[in-house]
Amino acid sequence: MSLFGMLLNWLRARTRVIAALFFLGLAGLVAANVFIRPHEAEYVFDAYPGFWAVFGLVVGLAMVIIMKKIVQPMISRGDDYYDRNS
Amino acid sequence: MIATASGFVHPALGFYLLAFILPFVPGKGWKWLLLVPPIVAIWSVMTIAPGEYGQLTWLGQTLHFGRVDKLSLIFAQVFAIMSLIGMVYAMHVDDKLQHIMACVYVGGAFGCTFAGDYLTLFVFWEMMSIGSTFLVWLARNPAATRAGFRYFLYHTIGGLFLLIGLLMRYKAVGSLGFDHVDPSQMMAYDWMIMLGFCVNAAVVPLHAWLPDAYPQGTVTGSVFMCAFTTKTAVYVLLRGFHGVEVLAIAGTVMAVYGVLYACIENNARRILSYHIVSQVGYMVAGIGIGTAMTMNGAVAHAYAHILYKGLLFMGTGCLLYAAGTTKLDQLGGLAHRLPWVMALYMVAALSISGMPLFNGFISKTMTITGAAEAHRTWLAIGMEIAAVGTFLSVGIKLPYFAFWAKPANNKMVLKPIPLNMYLAMAMGASLCIAQGLYPDMLYRYLPFEMEEMYHPWTTWHVLQALLLLGFSGLAFYFTREIITPHAKTNLDFDYFYRLIGRGAYALVSKPLAWLDDHWTEAYRAVGLAGLLNLARGTVWFDTKGIDTVVDGSAYTVRNIGVVGAKVQSGRLQDYLGLTAALALGIFALVWYLA
Repeated sequence: MSLFGMLLNWLRARTRVIAALFFLGLAGLVAANVFIRPHEAEYVFDAYPGFWAVFGLVVGLAMVIIMKKIVQPMISRGDDYYDRNS
Repeated sequence: MIATASGFVHPALGFYLLAFILPFVPGKGWKWLLLVPPIVAIWSVMTIAPGEYGQLTWLGQTLHFGRVDKLSLIFAQVFAIMSLIGMVYAMHVDDKLQHIMACVYVGGAFGCTFAGDYLTLFVFWEMMSIGSTFLVWLARNPAATRAGFRYFLYHTIGGLFLLIGLLMRYKAVGSLGFDHVDPSQMMAYDWMIMLGFCVNAAVVPLHAWLPDAYPQGTVTGSVFMCAFTTKTAVYVLLRGFHGVEVLAIAGTVMAVYGVLYACIENNARRILSYHIVSQVGYMVAGIGIGTAMTMNGAVAHAYAHILYKGLLFMGTGCLLYAAGTTKLDQLGGLAHRLPWVMALYMVAALSISGMPLFNGFISKTMTITGAAEAHRTWLAIGMEIAAVGTFLSVGIKLPYFAFWAKPANNKMVLKPIPLNMYLAMAMGASLCIAQGLYPDMLYRYLPFEMEEMYHPWTTWHVLQALLLLGFSGLAFYFTREIITPHAKTNLDFDYFYRLIGRGAYALVSKPLAWLDDHWTEAYRAVGLAGLLNLARGTVWFDTKGIDTVVDGSAYTVRNIGVVGAKVQSGRLQDYLGLTAALALGIFALVWYLA
């Protein structure tokens, strides 16, 4: 295994630390958003701090849950669906 | 001649020459020849001054091979760079036919880019269709063969829309000139032509050929295909139909539609294919909105997209090459064994997501900001939703389930990846990062004059991108159990295409076959009896008189017949190859004589 590969395995063993750093980073971004705002709001709501954080989270959650839990059960077939027919 | 006295070496020329001579080059050194046409192409587009080059009168029409302006040059530039990267990536492949077809295909893209009239455009358009069909077939497995036939049928229909449109237009206006159409004056034939373009641009609901065919292409062929077909279509839409409102809406629909499907797909190359639909959606929307900023955004995004999408397909191509599959449910835990594939893939994944430091950040935001500034708020929001979905699927889901999800996998047998594949990926990755850091590398070539230059690197833009992507990442963290890919086929519009196909098949095999049967019956009763009598007379004449004279010529005819029978193999791929060779031969002859 290459050195780079070993480094990745070392990181893999420390997911908790990485997750904690990730959450901290997110908190930092929202905090920065309180002070850094757009010059002029393009969609009215984006003038409020945290708008894009909420947007990303809500859209992301909704997309995954709706597509995987509701849409996919309706439109999915077996892996070889077309191969069997053609 | 295509290389005129005025000094424009058409980039397609090198590719077609190589396609011609490659079968006859002996020895092992031929692989270095693959790099020559791309390098000539890069040199050509970097040095040529805008103008009209290479006109040719053929069949009473003036063909324009060399419309060189800022718009065609920037597309040709990125095509040339991508062709070099693609060729380096393919250098280990011993199958000459794959390289020949890549040349036919890439040459077609250059031909379309510099075409100044619809006839020239159509010829090269079909060249691309033939070349890319072979890039699917040459994967040489039953699934690819079937996918290739579907792909070719579909593109033939798209090409026919274009042909019908251009012929109707010629009848109506008496010209084959390919120029911008005023959106308020669009006639039926203009819509027809635009429809033909939209097939290749994978505009929803005409898009399903793309996620059907690209995952089946060869490892190296799909890298070429993901770069040229849709972006050539973006180029011709931009030139002919910018400002057409329906494109603005269709583009945004594409952007969202693609990410929704990518969210539930299992095959990595299918996920990326749906993201082509999505990313091309941004470009089509920018073209439809039609302000200088959104159109420049479309061009910039096409440029960036070719680089990072090529890199994405190279990365997943490495997975296919090494592990033999791109199905995420069968992969996982490979990060430590393919660390550089993972790292280079991530450069592309962050680029497509629009992460600061990478080139998607400087191109995607331009279209979105342009849409918002043109007061197309809903379109801009649609594109932001697509941006979230892009990061979810390509930025996190794909690499997570391919490289990380399961415990470190030391059992899976991996074929070693050739150095040239790494080298090509490194070339793509360096360009993605360089453009992200120095937007001017790309912006200086943008074709449309803007009142105010767009500046991506402001504190607010960076913070907004980080917030959007960071919290999309958080959404993934919460839903990582739900988003786990499953081995399923997700029905898309190709379900309906197949219904139409089956309908046509049923029509041919039942009513038409019935008609044919009865016609044959009638013919046997009436025609055959007459023929038999005639034959008896001929036999008498033959045996009595001219046997000796005719025998010699009969042998000749038979021998010709044998050759003819060989050519008529009944296999579409043979006919296509012959047609392409013949068409190229005629073109070469006409160029030579003109």
